Amino acid sequence: MEESREKFTLETPQVGIIRGVAARDIEVVGGKSVNLRASARPYRNVYTAAQLRAIKSVVEKYGSGKVHLTPRHNLEIPEVGQKNIDRALKELYGAGLFPGGAGSSVRNIFTCPDWCSKAVRPVQEIGTMVSRNFGDMDMPNKVTISFAGCSNACSRPQNSDIGIIAVGKVAASEEGCPEDCASCLSVCRFGAIRKLDGRIMLNEKCVDCCKCAQACAHGGLGIAGTGFRVLIGGKEGTSVRFGVKYADFVEDDFEILEIVDRVLNCYREKARLRDGSTRKKERLAEVMGRLGIAAFM
Amino acid sequence: MDANDVTAGRARGRVALRVGSTGPYSSELTAGQIGAIADIAERYGSGAVHVTPRQTMEIPHIDIAALPDVTTLLAGHGLHIGYAGRRPRNVTACSHWCLYNVAPMRDAALQLNCLLNENENEKMPLPGKTNISLSGCGFSCVRSRTSDVGVIARSEIVITDKKCKKCSLCVKEPLGCQVDAITLAEGAVVIDRQKCVRCGFCSGVCRPGSIMMKSKSFDVFIGGNGGLKPREAFLYRTVPSLREAMELIGSLLEGYRAHAREGERIGDLIERAGMEWPGQKT
Ligand code: SF4
Ligand code: SF4
Ligand code: SF4
Ligand code: SF4
Ligand code: SF4
Ligand code: SF4
Repeated sequence: MEESREKFTLETPQVGIIRGVAARDIEVVGGKSVNLRASARPYRNVYTAAQLRAIKSVVEKYGSGKVHLTPRHNLEIPEVGQKNIDRALKELYGAGLFPGGAGSSVRNIFTCPDWCSKAVRPVQEIGTMVSRNFGDMDMPNKVTISFAGCSNACSRPQNSDIGIIAVGKVAASEEGCPEDCASCLSVCRFGAIRKLDGRIMLNEKCVDCCKCAQACAHGGLGIAGTGFRVLIGGKEGTSVRFGVKYADFVEDDFEILEIVDRVLNCYREKARLRDGSTRKKERLAEVMGRLGIAAFM
Repeated sequence: MDANDVTAGRARGRVALRVGSTGPYSSELTAGQIGAIADIAERYGSGAVHVTPRQTMEIPHIDIAALPDVTTLLAGHGLHIGYAGRRPRNVTACSHWCLYNVAPMRDAALQLNCLLNENENEKMPLPGKTNISLSGCGFSCVRSRTSDVGVIARSEIVITDKKCKKCSLCVKEPLGCQVDAITLAEGAVVIDRQKCVRCGFCSGVCRPGSIMMKSKSFDVFIGGNGGLKPREAFLYRTVPSLREAMELIGSLLEGYRAHAREGERIGDLIERAGMEWPGQKT
């Protein structure tokens, strides 16, 4: 107990955000050093070997010799001395890496990798577009935007302020079901699929996750078209909220850009200080709790 | 290593490898390890890596034929392949450098990772995918409450009779309470216990010692998950030390092994079989 008190006692309080150092603010985590959170710009959900080497070099020269991997696929370089920030940033910029993902802004966009064999629709491209348009933008509070390539939702879209999930319409083949394997029936978690007289039928409980079509190895089921489901108002942190459906089956990538634009604009307009606070503004989920989803239409 | 350790890619004959480390911890790699991963990605993969939501490096597009070579190269840097399929995934923990950490969660995560890997070697796989997430404070940055098992460290704070100097460090930017639970009243500070998430940060900020940390505790949550049907975990038990939290996790995993059907996650098992197996929550 005494120990932790010691650790937290700072000579000159400098925990906070260094504003305007670069493309984005930097989170300061101690009196003498900062944590640099690096992400690739323009946004990519991968780091190239050259970028990793740049990080390695910065970590060795200016950091603690270690890198922390964050849940929003940033790489965090801890303990960069205040006097080395400029030098470290210069090296990172040279490799197409930027500090970011801190403070009240649109945090690093999160997308699934397109190489995942389960992806119903690729999301890297649209994620990059959203990042180009809205990435690092100032917001009333932090905003997380996550894209998932399928309903497995690995990138946690349901717990993001804006979560976008690729979905697809399953269609049974004209010839009917070729094998009596029942793979498709056993994977459905929503009781949405049945077999009647050798034909596969989907009912209204279907959530377009495409698990059944992906499970069919005999061409009995296919994906007839893909789109995106948009959820808003999710979060995790001091409390958990799952996002609420805002739009379903958006087929056009550009419409996704419009939707994100609209939701962010409404959020900026309507967010106010939290009750009893003189400095913290509401997160998207709180605005939605107060005004309902209609406030974002 | 078996099929459970790799993730199928879109390209035939190519797989994605998630990289684990048995020291230091998988979400905290050394410069040397980063360099080795860069080399492997360049030589055997697509020249790029992905950082997964469970805070591990993933090297895509590795030729299956190269797996033995890659495994050897990784092993030379204390790295291994894992965290896919019906297995315990990387145990996530907060950045060790976050000042809010109430306790060293990354050390606990590393220990759990090692323990789970040992069990894997003894061929006692878990029935389903298992996410364990350890958050250093109530802000739950590593998503402890949508994980199969989650821990949140808490710090109990008290207001002492040491006189508040009205410096307002504990209420204003940048050090002030993040959830605005503190107000400065006449002569003393007042903490709104409804709002307070027990991160304990104020006790470190307050130099006269008007706010002090009394004790730590560890909330253990179970039954959460993201994915197809997201579920919020519920508070299962609160224990006074990280060691006890780890022991509790150990026995929870034993119970899960003994009772779950193939593929069932902890939340599914509770939904089907109730709370008898882990024992009622307290
Ligand atoms: S959400 Fe689907 S597409 Fe994305 S990584 Fe997970 S399984 Fe793959
Ligand atoms: S798409 Fe998903 S919900 Fe619909 S029937 Fe197939 S498995 Fe079930
Ligand atoms: S998985 Fe395909 S072949 Fe098997 S029952 Fe379903 S539709 Fe028929
Ligand atoms: S949960 Fe708390 S300790 Fe962990 S990273 Fe977030 S603020 Fe820091
Ligand atoms: S009052 Fe103190 S312990 Fe409670 S949330 Fe605020 S800073 Fe954390
Ligand atoms: S409680 Fe401590 S930190 Fe807060 S105003 Fe009083 S003396 Fe300052």
